Amino acid sequence: MGSGFEISAEDIRVFLDEAEELLQTMEGGILRLETDAGDPEVIQEIFRAAHTLKGSSATLGHQRMAELTHAMENVLDRLRKGKLTVTTELADTLFSCLDVLKALKDEIASGEPASVDTAEVMRRLAAFDQSGQPGAQRAPEPAAAVSPQMPPLTPAQEAQVKGAPARGMQAYWAEIRLAEDAAMPAVRAFQALLAVGDVGETVLSVPTQEQVEADQIDGELKVLFLTKETPERVRQILEQVPEIAIRTLAPYSSAAPVAAAEVAAASQAAAAHEAAAPQATAANQAPAPQAGARAAANGENGQAARSTKTGLRTVRVDVEVLDNLMNTVGELVIERTRLQQVLSRLEAEREGDDMAQVMSSALAQIGRLTGNLQEEIQRARMLPVDNLFRKFPRMMRDVAQKAGKEIQFVMKGEETELDRSVIEEIGDPLMHLLRNAVDHGIEPPAERLAAGKPAAGTVILEAYHEENHIIISVRDDGRGVDPDKVRASAVRKGLLSEEAARRLPDPEAVNLIWTPGFSTADKVSDISGRGVGLDVVQKNIEKINGSVEIHSKVGEGTEFRVKLPLTLAIIRALQVDLLGTTYCIPLGSVVETDRIPTADIRTVRQREVIVKRGEVIPLLRLAQVFQLERPEGAEEPEEIFVVIVAVMGRQIGLVVDTLVGEGDVVIKPLGRFIGEIPGISGATIMGDGDVAIILDVPSLVSSVQEEAGRLEAAVR
Amino acid sequence: MLIQEQREQQAISQIVVFRLAGEYYGADIAVVREVVPLQRVTPVPRTPEYVMGVINLRGRVIPVIDLRQRLGLPEAQMTKATRIAVGEVDGDQVGMIVDAVEEVARVSSDAVEPPSALMAQLDRDNVLGVAKVGDRLITLLDLRRILVREDRRSPVAPQ
Repeated sequence: MGSGFEISAEDIRVFLDEAEELLQTMEGGILRLETDAGDPEVIQEIFRAAHTLKGSSATLGHQRMAELTHAMENVLDRLRKGKLTVTTELADTLFSCLDVLKALKDEIASGEPASVDTAEVMRRLAAFDQSGQPGAQRAPEPAAAVSPQMPPLTPAQEAQVKGAPARGMQAYWAEIRLAEDAAMPAVRAFQALLAVGDVGETVLSVPTQEQVEADQIDGELKVLFLTKETPERVRQILEQVPEIAIRTLAPYSSAAPVAAAEVAAASQAAAAHEAAAPQATAANQAPAPQAGARAAANGENGQAARSTKTGLRTVRVDVEVLDNLMNTVGELVIERTRLQQVLSRLEAEREGDDMAQVMSSALAQIGRLTGNLQEEIQRARMLPVDNLFRKFPRMMRDVAQKAGKEIQFVMKGEETELDRSVIEEIGDPLMHLLRNAVDHGIEPPAERLAAGKPAAGTVILEAYHEENHIIISVRDDGRGVDPDKVRASAVRKGLLSEEAARRLPDPEAVNLIWTPGFSTADKVSDISGRGVGLDVVQKNIEKINGSVEIHSKVGEGTEFRVKLPLTLAIIRALQVDLLGTTYCIPLGSVVETDRIPTADIRTVRQREVIVKRGEVIPLLRLAQVFQLERPEGAEEPEEIFVVIVAVMGRQIGLVVDTLVGEGDVVIKPLGRFIGEIPGISGATIMGDGDVAIILDVPSLVSSVQEEAGRLEAAVR
Repeated sequence: MLIQEQREQQAISQIVVFRLAGEYYGADIAVVREVVPLQRVTPVPRTPEYVMGVINLRGRVIPVIDLRQRLGLPEAQMTKATRIAVGEVDGDQVGMIVDAVEEVARVSSDAVEPPSALMAQLDRDNVLGVAKVGDRLITLLDLRRILVREDRRSPVAPQ
């Protein structure tokens, strides 16, 4: 990049991780800023994030990033002090800043110069910085009233600070942390105060010198002081005091982040004198300031201690390591089963043998341990969906703005956990469904008002558990999917005949939206109509053993329900037997199993079907589909076993020989040599060490549909 | 050109000698990872005829092919001597069913004749040459060709 960072790769990685988090915090904060109309806590949060990023980018030597965050900080500071109010324009500007910061972050990550220009956003920021009240000097007290972070200086102290420049001095704010294991923290604090006194004048300190001398100290010392020295010199002098760390040393502005209560404690003595004075200070309002301050300080210390601890308790692990662990445990389980078989033989041959008994108890133990191990590793792979969700609010805001829609975007269940590989795969499909909801679902404000709905549409993204699955639902209160419109569109696009479309029941007509090449939008927008259809969304979800369904009511709204397995590597499956080979059917798609008398099988247009609860379900004889040869002379049984599976409401019955059982199976690929086989998604190793084949239900169902389609075409 | 190079390289090394339909065949020991006893093979539907199915090789699922069929030799019953020779090409392991595994032999390059023009096309594609070890004639197989499916991307169409 040419700026020649003398920084290790590890430093950069840490910086990037941190920057990512900070940018996300800022993004979330700016979004909330708009809805919560300038909640001071939110502003403070964004401010802190910008401030931290400024610090770390400056450390890294990235000038442009440091300058931009500094400019943002200025604007946020004005916001914090109530000199600015939140407008869409301001939020837009801050968002643009974030975009630039992201590009700059990528620049650091890739080492390739980013093609962004900070000048433009800097100019926009500067406009906010200058608007509002002109002049640099502060009107102290009113500002204090709106900003509780303002240290409530007594008028005497205020005057002392104000008069500093006249005396060639500058006010500084220092925050000093005393080492946790310092033997004599009060002594160190006292030394630090003395050091400050050596180079200048102390205006106030938290705790006060009296408190320090009385040993009332909480591991931290904050000092407001005046000095003629440079900050570097002050730092040098302070650093000679052992067992302390300087956390902040910065020119003082009335907005220095100090909790009012803490300062209140320090200035309580002064405040007592000033109580009669016309200015109301925070100290007056703080009940029992002394106790309050201590409690607050304690709380903060407690928190700091805890976070240091959690810092030590977490370790970053490459996902690959987790994958390998998972595979290894899978093999362990299989080997254990083999030992189990040896044991049963041993027990049969040498009944009551001591060794066999020892082995039996050891094996039971190993079984329990491997089970635990498997569970723990699976847990280590889980992440809250929040990791995925948090990028959506910003996207939704932009999409709605572009589409000229008003939306209220609600997220629920962000804490729901999913395997990280599922999270990686589900991002794009969800993004597409969300864009789709704004673009096709929610009506323009005028149309909504005319229909008696609020102008702003609601889009809800929700994640929750349902049995062995996670459901992610995307629902809107928009216009819903009109089956007639879908029919017409499908006919127009030549996806099916007018006749066939008319005969299609409404729910199935709605499901035509999943057909490749289909899109209901009358005009293609640049949001969701980018040629990537819902069929791709569906395929991607099915690829990870998930499914997606649509429920829609005209005029009321649409819901897309995405059903996902908890993990990719392990699925629950129904095991069936077909000519001596075990096949696994993922339980997620199994509706029910049934024994059907052969006499009840009927045919409709040459296809075998059964009728269940009035519904016609096509049968698929797996042995036929897979061209398995039955031994000579095998008779047609009187009853058949049928596993009814459903994909998107389409049911078919899979005819198998017998049902074997149900269990968790670890999905293994068939390998490149065999490649992809329609109807089969992989293999797994069973408890007895044999390999079983895992069926790909969606592709089996669509093969039946295609066949029906071909018949249809032939009849026409 | 490239094949020529490979042929020369492989001809110098050690080979695993196995028997198929009464004849001797050899494969570069660098490609044959191991030899395991015959075990239950799970058939995989919709695969070419010569693909027997898949087996569990210490927790890995690997395909197994019938080498006799793959080379156009007559089918035979499995016996106690039947083995699965596991080859590995580009990280993909594939098992091959052979009648029996004989030995590991050293073959010097001057004892190898290039594949004869008299051989059928199928053979010439899959064979690196014929080696003479003692009084045995050993057909050297090109596993890098045999164990990579050229039709991989278009699996056998259903029905």
